[in-house]
Amino acid sequence: MILIGELSLWVALLFAGWGAVVSFTGGALRRADLSATGERAVYATWGFVALAAAGLWTALLRHDFTLRYVASYTSANLPRLYTITAFWAGQEGSMLFWALILSTYSAIAVWANRGRNRALMPFVCGVLSAVTLFFLATLCFGASPFTRLPYDVVDGNGLNPQLQNPGMAFHPPNLYLGYVATTIPFAFAIAALVTRRLDGEWLAAVRRWSLVSWFFLTVGITLGMWWAYVELGWGGYWMWDPVENASLLPWLTGTAFLHSIMVQEKRGMLRKWNVVLVVSTFLLAILGTFITRSGVISSVHSFAQSPVGVWFAALLGIAVAVTAYLVATRLKDLEARAELESMISREAAFLYNNVLLVGIAFSVLWGTLFPILSEAVRGTKITVGPPFFNAVNVPLGLLLLALTGIGPLIAWRRASIANVRRQFATPGFGAVAVLAILLALGMREIHALVAYTLAGFVATTILQEFYKGVGARMRMHGEGVALAFIRLIARNRRRYGGYIVHAGVVILFCAFAGLVFKTEHDVTLKDGQTFAVTDPYGHHWEFVSMGISRFDALNRQVTAISLKPTRDGHPVPVIESEKRQHVDSRGSPTFEPSTAVGIDERPSEDVYVVFTGVLPDDTAEIRISFNPLVWWVWYGGALMALGGLIVMWPQADRARAQSGYAAVLAPERVAPAPAVT
Amino acid sequence: MRLPATVPAATGETTPRLTRRGFLAALGAGMTSVLATTPGTAAPQGSQPGADQPGAQQGPRLTMSGPMSESAYRPVQRPAKPGAQASMTAADRDALEHQIHCQCGCTLDVYTCRTTDFTCPVSPAMHADVMQLVAGGYTGPEIIAAFRAAYGERVLMAPTREGFNWAAYVTPFVALGAGAGLVAVLIQRWKRAADLAAQPIASATAGGHAAHAHVDATPEELARLDAAVRDDR
Repeated sequence: MILIGELSLWVALLFAGWGAVVSFTGGALRRADLSATGERAVYATWGFVALAAAGLWTALLRHDFTLRYVASYTSANLPRLYTITAFWAGQEGSMLFWALILSTYSAIAVWANRGRNRALMPFVCGVLSAVTLFFLATLCFGASPFTRLPYDVVDGNGLNPQLQNPGMAFHPPNLYLGYVATTIPFAFAIAALVTRRLDGEWLAAVRRWSLVSWFFLTVGITLGMWWAYVELGWGGYWMWDPVENASLLPWLTGTAFLHSIMVQEKRGMLRKWNVVLVVSTFLLAILGTFITRSGVISSVHSFAQSPVGVWFAALLGIAVAVTAYLVATRLKDLEARAELESMISREAAFLYNNVLLVGIAFSVLWGTLFPILSEAVRGTKITVGPPFFNAVNVPLGLLLLALTGIGPLIAWRRASIANVRRQFATPGFGAVAVLAILLALGMREIHALVAYTLAGFVATTILQEFYKGVGARMRMHGEGVALAFIRLIARNRRRYGGYIVHAGVVILFCAFAGLVFKTEHDVTLKDGQTFAVTDPYGHHWEFVSMGISRFDALNRQVTAISLKPTRDGHPVPVIESEKRQHVDSRGSPTFEPSTAVGIDERPSEDVYVVFTGVLPDDTAEIRISFNPLVWWVWYGGALMALGGLIVMWPQADRARAQSGYAAVLAPERVAPAPAVT
Repeated sequence: MRLPATVPAATGETTPRLTRRGFLAALGAGMTSVLATTPGTAAPQGSQPGADQPGAQQGPRLTMSGPMSESAYRPVQRPAKPGAQASMTAADRDALEHQIHCQCGCTLDVYTCRTTDFTCPVSPAMHADVMQLVAGGYTGPEIIAAFRAAYGERVLMAPTREGFNWAAYVTPFVALGAGAGLVAVLIQRWKRAADLAAQPIASATAGGHAAHAHVDATPEELARLDAAVRDDR
């Protein structure tokens, strides 16, 4: 199976190359037979990449240490779950994983469009096959997971202990699924540009794929934050590392696209802009990969410098050049079919939202690349860390939060003063009420006050929308509150799913603002000693050391500190933090010690305990942090993902038609609309 | 001491050892793509398994961004000021350390590094220097300046707000302003075009139903459609 897998990689490479050639040729010559061959090549490529993946998984599960990859990332005593996840623990495996997802997506896209978008599909297949070819070529010629060792080893190195976390099974795959999904909209955009079929056809085809990408990126980023928080011990979840930034960039432009696509659907506007956003999202995914994997920028996620980075730079350059040429030569085809009528309209609000989202993406990219620029211009190395990103992005983020609430309140086309006044009254009151309550409670932190006031505004906006919608259904259909609420969402998933996403955003911003009130304490405790402290809410905590214990676990030697806390005199479950020394199958230490964080999670705050060391007299060195509202980061992210799922869930036209208040007009029919005003 | 001893591996080779930051490096394999040193078929003779593993190491230990530079530490020491007293509280000192970049090769600040990566020898040494300067009566800006003199600008967690570095802070807002300005101009242009397009029809509407002669709907129906579009939020 392993040999079959290795050979399959090469066969897949050939099929991808063949698919690219015949698809483009078939499209250019309008030869249906060649186009059909190209589509079959996509399926074949997927089949052989799947075989290659099966080969690597087989090697991992059989502990075939003759393979460098298996010996490098696993050991005989590695738990089975992590043996499976070691597939994407290293360079070569993660590359194969990328190719596997890409070929799978490609096959799904071709199958889903077997009866649609026939004029586009040859070029879609061509682009998808070309990108797959790139990854397979990198695998075959630069980073093969099937490379064999020139000597025998008894056991492998094992997997980095901190990758032995359930997060390893979920976070990387989700992020990959998100990154790779940007390729499909890119392929459709290129196909639409090449064929000059730039009407709603290609948009309809890419919208769901963009949502798929957005959904998985959201889940992946949230899981990454959670994993970093529970595993690393520095008490945060986002450190503006270049690779973290790289995952944020396509998410930001993808989010901008999902808003601006509505303007094109309803008004036939922003056609050029949407093409640019789709292409940018894909290019940013590749750029992020390049800047962190080529070694040009230091990142916590860097492996080492690699000549393969040049390949990615080439891919990036070609993609930019081709896209720029296609857009430049098709500007007339991308003219808007309607004009914006007012600066106070939903379309304008989406434009402002797009400017902000892309502005934030630019500032993140700018900060990530600025060290290179500084060194090139001044010859001086500088660091651009969290203080910079927070200084630049916090105000932009707060503006975005405000727009999240403003947008839904403004009518399409043109909002009257009366309409604005009526719509903004309740949310405005909500914002003022939140501000007054927080001031009365003694909060004086300006950033937090602004964030919570805006959050109050947006939350009231969302509640108002649901209140009106549910009320309308109750009046029109005589439904109860619960039924009306469920049907309101079910019958207009895009709109109300979007509001659920906005609710998740509100929760996230509230949680982010909570970290302003974080407190940390470095303490040393002997067995039986107590540390007393007051948390940010004014609760009195006491931590009694239950002493240090030492024991062996599955594949590690553990030294643990247990703390027995009380909160305002009431007992709280014991918090335990560990230092772990992982060992190989013969009991020899394999990695440097790592730490398992102890967390007492609650909605108001996390008590975050890190066992930082042991003094010679068995005194434990501990860091205790109170992290307000962190719990809500995970649930805010989950709510956003749920909203995304609702938005992308297929909805029958009949159900949409019955929603009762969604006048969905095809772009072509919108153009005459000004005639009636 | 934080430096661990190298121990023999089961394979009889030097065991790759991994710092906490190695995790982050390894995570990169799962987080983004690929592409780093992978000997692959061109692996040099004698290279060992794990040599290419993120975080794994045979020579120098790895930080999150490459080999740990244990010799990167440079003493930042000054004589105590006459009659010196501690210039700040422990909390203020921790906040100050959040502004100083650990030089071991990681991307963390001194405070976070020394309380997170228990194997780093550099951040504790830098922390000791901060402690000594604080005890010697030096203020925050003086301590920052002393570190900058020893290591250069890279020791700061964010670019200073001076000279070329202003570009870092200003450019995003300039770009955003330019984008907003462009949008404002576009909206005005579109609005004018929309108004122009509406004018003849509006005047025709005033004269009766003629304006809608090309539309298969009554003015009442069109008004309802218009209202529906407006209400569709």
